[in-house]
Amino acid sequence: MCGIVGYTGQRKALPILLDSLKRLEYRGYDSAGVAIVGSELKVVKDKGFIANLEAQLPAIEGTTGLAHTRWATHGAPSKVNAHPHVDCSGRLAIAHNGIIENFMEIRERMEKEGHVFASQTDTESLVHLVESYYDGNLETAVRSALREVRGSFAIAAVHADEPGRIVGARNESPLVIGVGPDENFLASDVPALLKHTDKVLYILDKEIVVLTASGVAISDLEGRTVSREPERITWTLEDAEKGGFEHFMLKEIFEQPAAIHETLLGRIANLDVNGFFAEGFTSVKLVACGTSYHAALVGKYILEEIAQIPASAELASEYRYAHGPSERPLVILLSQSGETADTLGAMREAKRRGCKTLGICNVVGSSLAREVDKTIYTRAGLEIGVAATKTFVTQLVALYLIALRGGLDRGTLGYEEADGLKDQLRSLPRAVQAVLNRSEEIERLAEKYRDAKDMFYIGRHVNYPVAMEGALKLKEISYVHAEAYAAGELKHGPLALLTPATPVVAIAVRDHTYEKMRSNIGEVVARGSPVLAIASEGDREIVKFVDDVLAVPELPGIFNPAPVTVAMQLFAYHLARTRQCPIDKPRNLAKSVTVE
Amino acid sequence: MKAVILAAGEGARMGPFTASEPKVMIPVGNRPILEYVVQALVDNGVQDVVLVVGYRRERILSHFQEGKAFGARIRYVTQTKQLGTAHAVAEARPHLEDRFVVLNGSNMVDARFVGDLIEQAKGPAVVITQSDRPRQYGVVTLQGSRVVSITEKPTQMISNLINTGAYALDASIFTDIERLAAEGKNDLPSAINAHAASQDVLALRTEGMWIDALYPWDLLRLNQAAIASTADVRAGTIESNVTIRGRVAVGDGCTIRSGAYLQGPLSLGAGCEIGPNAVLLPSTSLGRNVRIGALTTVANSILMDDVSLGASSVVQDSVIGSGVSAKAGLMAASGPADVKIEDEWHAVPQIGALLGEDAEFGSGVTIESGSIVNERTRVASGARIRGTVPAGGVVL
Repeated sequence: MCGIVGYTGQRKALPILLDSLKRLEYRGYDSAGVAIVGSELKVVKDKGFIANLEAQLPAIEGTTGLAHTRWATHGAPSKVNAHPHVDCSGRLAIAHNGIIENFMEIRERMEKEGHVFASQTDTESLVHLVESYYDGNLETAVRSALREVRGSFAIAAVHADEPGRIVGARNESPLVIGVGPDENFLASDVPALLKHTDKVLYILDKEIVVLTASGVAISDLEGRTVSREPERITWTLEDAEKGGFEHFMLKEIFEQPAAIHETLLGRIANLDVNGFFAEGFTSVKLVACGTSYHAALVGKYILEEIAQIPASAELASEYRYAHGPSERPLVILLSQSGETADTLGAMREAKRRGCKTLGICNVVGSSLAREVDKTIYTRAGLEIGVAATKTFVTQLVALYLIALRGGLDRGTLGYEEADGLKDQLRSLPRAVQAVLNRSEEIERLAEKYRDAKDMFYIGRHVNYPVAMEGALKLKEISYVHAEAYAAGELKHGPLALLTPATPVVAIAVRDHTYEKMRSNIGEVVARGSPVLAIASEGDREIVKFVDDVLAVPELPGIFNPAPVTVAMQLFAYHLARTRQCPIDKPRNLAKSVTVE
Repeated sequence: MKAVILAAGEGARMGPFTASEPKVMIPVGNRPILEYVVQALVDNGVQDVVLVVGYRRERILSHFQEGKAFGARIRYVTQTKQLGTAHAVAEARPHLEDRFVVLNGSNMVDARFVGDLIEQAKGPAVVITQSDRPRQYGVVTLQGSRVVSITEKPTQMISNLINTGAYALDASIFTDIERLAAEGKNDLPSAINAHAASQDVLALRTEGMWIDALYPWDLLRLNQAAIASTADVRAGTIESNVTIRGRVAVGDGCTIRSGAYLQGPLSLGAGCEIGPNAVLLPSTSLGRNVRIGALTTVANSILMDDVSLGASSVVQDSVIGSGVSAKAGLMAASGPADVKIEDEWHAVPQIGALLGEDAEFGSGVTIESGSIVNERTRVASGARIRGTVPAGGVVL
């Protein structure tokens, strides 16, 4: 989603615009740009992050300007397609959010009239249309142009001949004005304004607004004045975004039942893939980085158990440089953003090797989604906390759906059996909810373990990668050193590290490895390490030989990863919170890693 | 104008349906009850809403967030101990200006109800209505249109005019609230009584909608009201020879198999699968991802998310919690019954089954009218259920 900000007042516009723009980052974007009116109009824009733009910006004088983050719709993400766009004279600049439906006909008309287009965007046709009406008054030119435009838009325009003035307009895309003393602001959303003012005016559809340092004037498309009093925003920036939760991560942890639902909707009865899984491969390779790699590892067990397809998982950064054997597996690539550089590299390598490719990602239209043969979207919604939570769990859901469809299409899964599995999938949102309902209990456990310097996570079978995910969450946000081991591997080395100062989180849910896990926990207890067991509800045995138990609903083994992971997310969250760590923005980490 | 919505209570009389979510979040017509309240405010231009939350607050926060999706700007105040309605309003005070309205989050209201409250109340006011069970409520004694007093759950019949729990107030109420709090009284009707002694409190009547849910079977009335005017929407895959009559909202990604008969008003959430020759009768709401087996009949019932009913089942006048699954031949037919809730017996004229979330039923289970099966119970094939089965139980 695009974002627009604008400023006019007494202060230097550039730093204010960049700061406001960053507050719209959550909307997602692929390029960014600014236009400042000083003694002349200066426009700087580029593909990529705001920080990238900032690095190449000269100090631009001028107290009026606008800035924009673009989410590509018409025309690829690129420097030339980034906003703001300028007219032929280079004196008019417009930033636009939305889609102009009749841009092709306007563009053809303008080109006939001699206007020269630089980009492929729908926006640029509007710029030239405004230019064609401009006779010294930007407001009337914008009004005349908008009468001819169909579509949804929020726009902001500046002209070098009218310094100190911004003209905005909206139709079906959000636009708000921030009212300050001797300065005024314009933005796509309130969070961009809150640092500067709590007085806002909401612009409605088919209205035009003119901002100067000293005033705001609203009118309709016919030029009639609209009078409206500013409203006061009574909440802070942080509240507005976190919807009452203390951190984004906690908000997102609690969104997981809904996110699972979204991912399942309409897909349980029939994941519509046109027989994609029926033929063309005899095995599957799952490739990913970070948390998505843990989902890939879990996916190996899911695909092998439900669909009886041989599967293996590999890190994207390893796969892409490995020498491929002659076998041609289906390559499933997992990436939340669909922009992870190593995963994209792996995907291209898989295609080069002639493999069928399937993407599992959360961002519609991402590079991964565009280039693979087939994409299954997780519908987790926007994830702001750097530590992945709901995107991981929805990746698991996508893998269950793939295994179900794959098994049915390949004849390795019977319909009776599939019905039972479908009922289990339906129950997943509530299995996760049951864990969330224990948040306060988990908080007390986390307080007990808060002073640990090292922790170990152990599990077997499908819960081994789940243990890895649990350890990663703890490392990421609480900075406690944590390692995961396959429980059976303890005696081959790691036991040497165990002491009474190294608590162990043991995943000991009732599945076919339960008895073995109990023996492994015995080995740990014998070294004096405190043990926190994640066990099935109603397990009265395990409480006898571990220090603490965190209960999760009892499910068939292969479905345990979702509720167990959520229990460990909450444990990591509460532990980090008692240690007062910056949970949503851990040091050295970025949300999506678009560098190799 | 700002609004306070009270949404902190658990709703213990709702049986299994408040096991993991507060009463205000129970879905009727596929939306939580509280959403209708917020909607009625927004429709009247009241966008600034303070939600007083407590029990399972995260369920409310996750759904409503900052309110943007509902056209509102929502602030949350957590009432850690549910001392009373006056205490709840006092907790919201820092976010209120002089005049404000108070609504109960578990009473379904429409835009007209809220509109009348906002427009007709010039000073403090209470919305009153007629009730056929006044002893469950605060009965209002009037002098003309002025409130004399509110008597909570009177043991003797005073009148059938009751307090709806919807108020228009200003900051002067806080003086009474604070004084009464010192005496250990934390309910809003007491504060209104004290207020009425010193100034006129208007008793306001409205033609708008106000439906309260005290007990689980009341949810069916709310559901009927919610889907009476449901939009006629078709989405997903509808096979040939499906009959659809009346207003029926079919959500995205639904699959309706051949021979199914759907008589509106009905509301089907996204991703539902309706089996061949299934029959859905008014006024039924199905949540998301619900599966209805072949030849199964469902009438006047609420089936929440992820319910799976096997083939050849009959469900009437029932409320079925999320994730309940039943193999073939579940029989939950409607009839008159005495139902026990919180140690009180209630004679209910028409009721089927009340099934808590994630209960599992084998095939051929019969549930007698008015039975309650609490959450996560497992019932073996062929069982016959009568009365109340506790949570997490096993019935052989």
